[in-house]
Amino acid sequence: MFETFAKSTRVAFDDAKYEAARRGDRRVGTDHLLISLLNEPAIATAVGADAEAARRAAEALDRGALKAVGVDLGDYRAPGRASLGRHVPLTAGAKSVLQRTLAIAASEKSRSLTPRHMMLALLERPAPDPAADLLAALGTDPDRTRERLAAV
Amino acid sequence: MSKETDTAADLGVQLRTADPATGLRAAGALRRIAELVEATHVAEARRAGWSWEQIGDALGVTRQSVHTKYGKKGTDV
Repeated sequence: MFETFAKSTRVAFDDAKYEAARRGDRRVGTDHLLISLLNEPAIATAVGADAEAARRAAEALDRGALKAVGVDLGDYRAPGRASLGRHVPLTAGAKSVLQRTLAIAASEKSRSLTPRHMMLALLERPAPDPAADLLAALGTDPDRTRERLAAV
Repeated sequence: MSKETDTAADLGVQLRTADPATGLRAAGALRRIAELVEATHVAEARRAGWSWEQIGDALGVTRQSVHTKYGKKGTDV
């Protein structure tokens, strides 16, 4: 399956592992896939947010949730990043995004899996899902994003 | 009732009233913080000459588990 990934999709996939380590997560989730795809300017334009904005939104969601259970982080700032094992497993959600990416590319009779295909798969995620939560926090309109992605 | 038990009771109410999405997100956020703080300070301890056994004891885990997690360098991204 991996040989059919366009180079930019493979880069996004590697970036997703890096995002996981940076966040302190032990698995690559749909949120990490989303943030790494937003490093692609064309995807960021279609979604209406870049990777940095998404990282800030994820951080704000974390702080908000902690506050709701009575934990105030005060002036805590994330130190460095966690070290990754050789093999970084995918969450169940991330696996199904990869399957959908493949199915969407196949339905378009595309020879390679592009970041656009993966973004379309991420837009399908129903809540509760880390990427769906992040897209909602960013105020992304899924239908408009799909329209704009058609031009990518 | 002391002030401390008041606070504990308040927190209990907050924990019960948070919806699952929020509560689980908070638990995930705490785990992420623990991972990042741990990774940073395990590296610091190693630089300061701590053994894997001493680090494991400080974290309440076995020497093996901390070494497996942090021992192999070069996989750091």
